[in-house]
Amino acid sequence: MNAIEMSALTKKFGDVTAVDALTLNVQRGTIFGFLGPNGSGKSTCIRMLCGLLEPTSGTATVNGFDIVRESESVKRSIGYMNQTFSLYRDLTVDENLTFFGSIYGLRGEVLKRRKDTVIDLVGIGGYVDRRSGQLSGGWRQRLALATALIHEPDLLFLDEPSAGIDPVARRDLWDLLFDLAGAGKTLFVTTHYMDEAERCDETAYIYLSKLMVRGTPNELKALPEVSPEGTRRVAVATHQPPKALAVLKRQPFVLDATLVEAEIHLLMPIGTKDSDVLSALQSKGVGADASIRPIEPSLEDVFVTLTRRLDRE
Amino acid sequence: MREALYGFTSIAAKEFMHMRRDRTTIIFAVLLPILQLVLLGYAINFDVRHVKTTVVDLDKSRESRTFIAGLQNTQYLDVVSYLPDPVLAEQALRRNDARAAIIIPSGFARHYGTKQPPMVRILLDGSDSQVAGAARSALLRPIDVMSPNAVDIRLNVLFNPQMRTLVYTIPALVAVLLQMLTISLTSFSLVRERELGTLDQLMVSPVGRLGLMLGKMAPYSVLAMGELAFVLMMGHLIFDIQINGSIFLLMALAVPFILSALAMGLVISTVAQNQSQALQFTGLTNLPSILLSGYIAPRETLPVPLYMISNIFPVTHFIQIIRGIVVRGAGLADLIPSTFWLLFLTVVLIGAATLRFRKSTA
Repeated sequence: MNAIEMSALTKKFGDVTAVDALTLNVQRGTIFGFLGPNGSGKSTCIRMLCGLLEPTSGTATVNGFDIVRESESVKRSIGYMNQTFSLYRDLTVDENLTFFGSIYGLRGEVLKRRKDTVIDLVGIGGYVDRRSGQLSGGWRQRLALATALIHEPDLLFLDEPSAGIDPVARRDLWDLLFDLAGAGKTLFVTTHYMDEAERCDETAYIYLSKLMVRGTPNELKALPEVSPEGTRRVAVATHQPPKALAVLKRQPFVLDATLVEAEIHLLMPIGTKDSDVLSALQSKGVGADASIRPIEPSLEDVFVTLTRRLDRE
Repeated sequence: MREALYGFTSIAAKEFMHMRRDRTTIIFAVLLPILQLVLLGYAINFDVRHVKTTVVDLDKSRESRTFIAGLQNTQYLDVVSYLPDPVLAEQALRRNDARAAIIIPSGFARHYGTKQPPMVRILLDGSDSQVAGAARSALLRPIDVMSPNAVDIRLNVLFNPQMRTLVYTIPALVAVLLQMLTISLTSFSLVRERELGTLDQLMVSPVGRLGLMLGKMAPYSVLAMGELAFVLMMGHLIFDIQINGSIFLLMALAVPFILSALAMGLVISTVAQNQSQALQFTGLTNLPSILLSGYIAPRETLPVPLYMISNIFPVTHFIQIIRGIVVRGAGLADLIPSTFWLLFLTVVLIGAATLRFRKSTA
């Protein structure tokens, strides 16, 4: 049985279709990256799967429970971490955990043991008596994760868990998520960060409320739309990337050009030589120092390419 | 039912912690009714004290001095001057040096307490009818207290209407203030959680809807009961309101009143989309409550549709109860219709709040 099964899941708000006939399965024990730009319907989809929002049409099961008819059973079996920090800011770390534990029916020794376990897991032991509103962003997210785990759900929905926290905290949080996946939990994660997406077992990209593509990161990079037959992808490193990008975009042989981390990623016909690129740059007086190396497409390349194709259609 | 009530104790404990954390708001909420009681109580209080009084003592005996001291002790009168002649007293009134004059005849001591009691003349400045009325009744009081033989008994026929007004309005004011407090306590609670995002976290939990509602009401009902006791005590201390009936009955019947008012706040909280809307709805509830509940004008004077509407406000029925117990010393048997209404409203309003609140939105 899959952890999540969606079948033509649709949500309309009036005339606006927020989620359009989404059909998607998520396997147990995997980290599933749910990707897409702002407003593409990611959060709406998560809220439906968590039983917070009723779908307009279509069905879905979560842990084998129907999200409409058995939403209470769904709720008992999942953990949910909201996009915005949604714990009680006037309560301490310990009080938040106590409250959310007790609301799932944990009492006495069991509750205490569960609290100790999740406090240990996210490493928030030094702050148990601090009010959650006074924690920094990274610690808040850890507390939110601990809270989502208090009742030992085997499926976690994390809506942009790393939004607004610093890089170190982000890295720590993802290490935690890997530990959880290693322990057999299923994680359904939305993110904007492509380096996070690269670390997922499987990803799905939704765009304009529709599922655009799904697969493992490697499968996506090998898609013919991303890496068409007879093309190759190179990275151009130069000390003037924006100028060089402007020049290259005007070259007839350039199929696609994007700036990624101060390098230009170029998609061009396999017959185009590195020297063609260099001479194009030098004829405009930029990129005297340019160097070129072949690359695999990144997930960012994948999604940018696919999105542009869709926009053109 | 068990499922619906799920999480009641957890929510109640949590709400209690919020209350402890947000002391400023709670202290303000608790003290505000006291402040309003004093302000509004005095605003409707025609019971004027410290009326400037002049005395013409033609007897100058020990008895006459005791009589004057007795008047002064009531605090309704301040003796500002002693004059030798009744004509001068009239002048003092005309010039507004005094608002009342007491003329004690010679032979006061001789006739005091005899079969022909001394005739004490009282002159009142009638230009301010409220002050005049107050002074008049005040002047009658000490005479009233004395042995009936000591004074002209014709003065005893009059009563003190001002005192009765206050005894009648203060209990109703207590009820109105208490409803305003309780509605404001809960009307924000769900919208606040919605705005903070914590409601989502509750909605993905297995908490039952009824458990959530009752859990939110529990700590506030304790607070409101304490507030009622506090306000009644202040009413007694400041306005000398005596409870003629059983205070235990009053407190017992306050329970459904407070629960229904808290539930009304929760209904508002389920309707409002944000906190400023909740504030508006609370205001919209308070105004008709004050106007229609019988606090300002008797409900019998209302047109039939408004009379019907007034029944949906818990305060309408609690005013009947609190006036009955405080003023008339009524017992439970005298208050059955109001009690029934309050119990009915408690069930209906808690039901409405519970049903209106959905754990998933369409």
